Amino acid sequence: MRNEWILDKNHLSYWLRQLRKERELVGPLLNGGKDIVFRTVEQIHEIVLDLPASLPSPKEFLLPQYEPMLRLDIPGGEPGVHYRAQPVSPDACVKGSRAGRVYDLAERRRRIVFGVRPCDVSAVRLLDRFFLEGYRDPYYEQRRMNTLMVTIACNNPDPTCFCIGLGTGPYLDGGFDIQLTDLGNRYFVQAASAEGVRTVKATSFLFRRPGKADHDDQYEVILSAKARFRKRISLESPRGMILAGRIKDDFWQRVAARCFECGGCVYECPLCTCFTVTDRRYHGGIERARLWDTCLFKGFTRMAGGVLPNEKRMLRTKRWYYHKLIHYPEVLGGFGCVGCGRCTLTCPGKIDMAAIATAMKGLDLDGATAVVGKGRQVGIGEVMRRPKPEETGAGPEGEG
Amino acid sequence: MKRKGRENVYLPLSADVEEVIPLTPETSLFRVRPEAAIEYSPGQFFMVSLWGAGEVPISVASLGGGDGPLELCIRRAGLVTGALHGLEAGDTVWLRGPYGNGFPLDLSRGRDVVVVAGGIGMAPLRPLILWFLENPGAAGRVTLLYGAKRPEEIVFREEMDGWRERGVDVLLTVDTPAKGWEGRTGLVTALWQDVRSDLQKAVAYICGPDVMIRAAMGELFLLGMPEERIITTLEAHMKCGVGKCGHCYAGPRYICTDGPVFSYREIRSHSHFLTG
Repeated sequence: MRNEWILDKNHLSYWLRQLRKERELVGPLLNGGKDIVFRTVEQIHEIVLDLPASLPSPKEFLLPQYEPMLRLDIPGGEPGVHYRAQPVSPDACVKGSRAGRVYDLAERRRRIVFGVRPCDVSAVRLLDRFFLEGYRDPYYEQRRMNTLMVTIACNNPDPTCFCIGLGTGPYLDGGFDIQLTDLGNRYFVQAASAEGVRTVKATSFLFRRPGKADHDDQYEVILSAKARFRKRISLESPRGMILAGRIKDDFWQRVAARCFECGGCVYECPLCTCFTVTDRRYHGGIERARLWDTCLFKGFTRMAGGVLPNEKRMLRTKRWYYHKLIHYPEVLGGFGCVGCGRCTLTCPGKIDMAAIATAMKGLDLDGATAVVGKGRQVGIGEVMRRPKPEETGAGPEGEG
Repeated sequence: MKRKGRENVYLPLSADVEEVIPLTPETSLFRVRPEAAIEYSPGQFFMVSLWGAGEVPISVASLGGGDGPLELCIRRAGLVTGALHGLEAGDTVWLRGPYGNGFPLDLSRGRDVVVVAGGIGMAPLRPLILWFLENPGAAGRVTLLYGAKRPEEIVFREEMDGWRERGVDVLLTVDTPAKGWEGRTGLVTALWQDVRSDLQKAVAYICGPDVMIRAAMGELFLLGMPEERIITTLEAHMKCGVGKCGHCYAGPRYICTDGPVFSYREIRSHSHFLTG
């Protein structure tokens, strides 16, 4: 018997209440500023499922923006951790012998993230490889083990979405815990992981087995969703062009000229994983925590003595795209992009993945700019193709 | 050090500081004894930390294998290394590792060896020389070319005299000579003609500033040394040491887990190394 069921929409709220008994329930909510964010659900009716992609992606439940890792308790220090960070200086560090006990702060809370998009689940499959192969990252592992993701297939993709060209959405055949497809008055429910199956079966009285009509409806819904994508972007062709040496450094020069170095693309990206580690002093101890960092920042590679190996912005911008288009597939078997479109929403310079992929092919980007805002129509492809007069004599920067 | 699958790789061990030996005005050798015995090999590194200051990658400067202390050669260069320089015997330092691949030691069997070091780049190469001294069959003639900015910035100078007595050709050079300096002046890469080995048949191990590494590798290659026998160890900013934080990624490789030791062949195949 396949792990497929039908859940009447009238039962959804009750099902979530049952799930919440075992786990913290997290879902997409509209916050005060009308942003779509994944947060702990207090009122189940506040979950909104018909909105564009959340910012940031649900990766924050596996790799939070700020994650305490270890804590050193100093004997004689005041007990209890007060989150009052103080600037760290060489004098503030702990000296002396056997300074205190070290505690592992890995979070082990059981959590259910409801309403995740298929593209984000596709990203988690690559994150699993990245964090759990070689040295296992214990913080990611603990969170991953304790997180159940319920995916909702995207019947109405955003204008910025292009997962369809990457096979990472809008509907998945596997790799999820539980996937729901909205069939109007009911959900088509599929479970792929053991924990997903167990979770559905724990409240099996809410579900029924699907009939032929249900399968037919799901097929129709998926077909119609796939027809709604406005962007048809493949990353194979940009990758091929880079590998063939057709993208010269002057292209990256012009991309970099538009980069604000805000890091927005990296923070929203479900597949950007870089972090920095910092020590913070609290009453009674010192906490070692990691937080999001990005290779687009100049100081990212700064070494002792102030050496900056990646001082040129062009090299940093190029590196980010190379990592996603060339090295991710080479090492982990998939692009470092799932087509979620968040960088399109975020990038103020309009040099997001979709724009770059399109610009590389020399296509007109009017279609792309039309969806990112009602503002001025900027022909990005044109801007990137045309060298500025003062740049033409400079020649491409070498990599050394 | 073997780590079990379930153990937290980010959890440091404490180590007692036994002795801090100043080598130059900015560089000291820290002799530390970890709470549990740790095995490591030349070319590997540890993530060394002080709570409140942070963690930094430091290559191991001792040979290991026995029950002697672990030695770390640290230059005062930034916040964490500055804090480390405030330590005295009896204090505690924290470390985790060893990480990285280490030097390929089999490569030198039956061949002459040229060790090229600049400044504190001697630190990761010192255990290599100690290894050749302890294992006479491991290599033919060993030559050390060492360059420093000034005579007082030469690290392990007295120890080098001992190496010389034990058969190592030690050639020293400085950029700026001081009074009483009778050695050579200039770049280490100007010393090839003084090497008594056939460079085309030898193995080179190189560490130093970025420009020196690049120049030395390029010249040895020009002199006919095969690129897979030109070995260097790279340094990069690192936050984790285990291939997760992303700070040291160079193309598809991570300097922490795929390196820090690379051959010139590997470096040439990835233009992403040695940028800037």
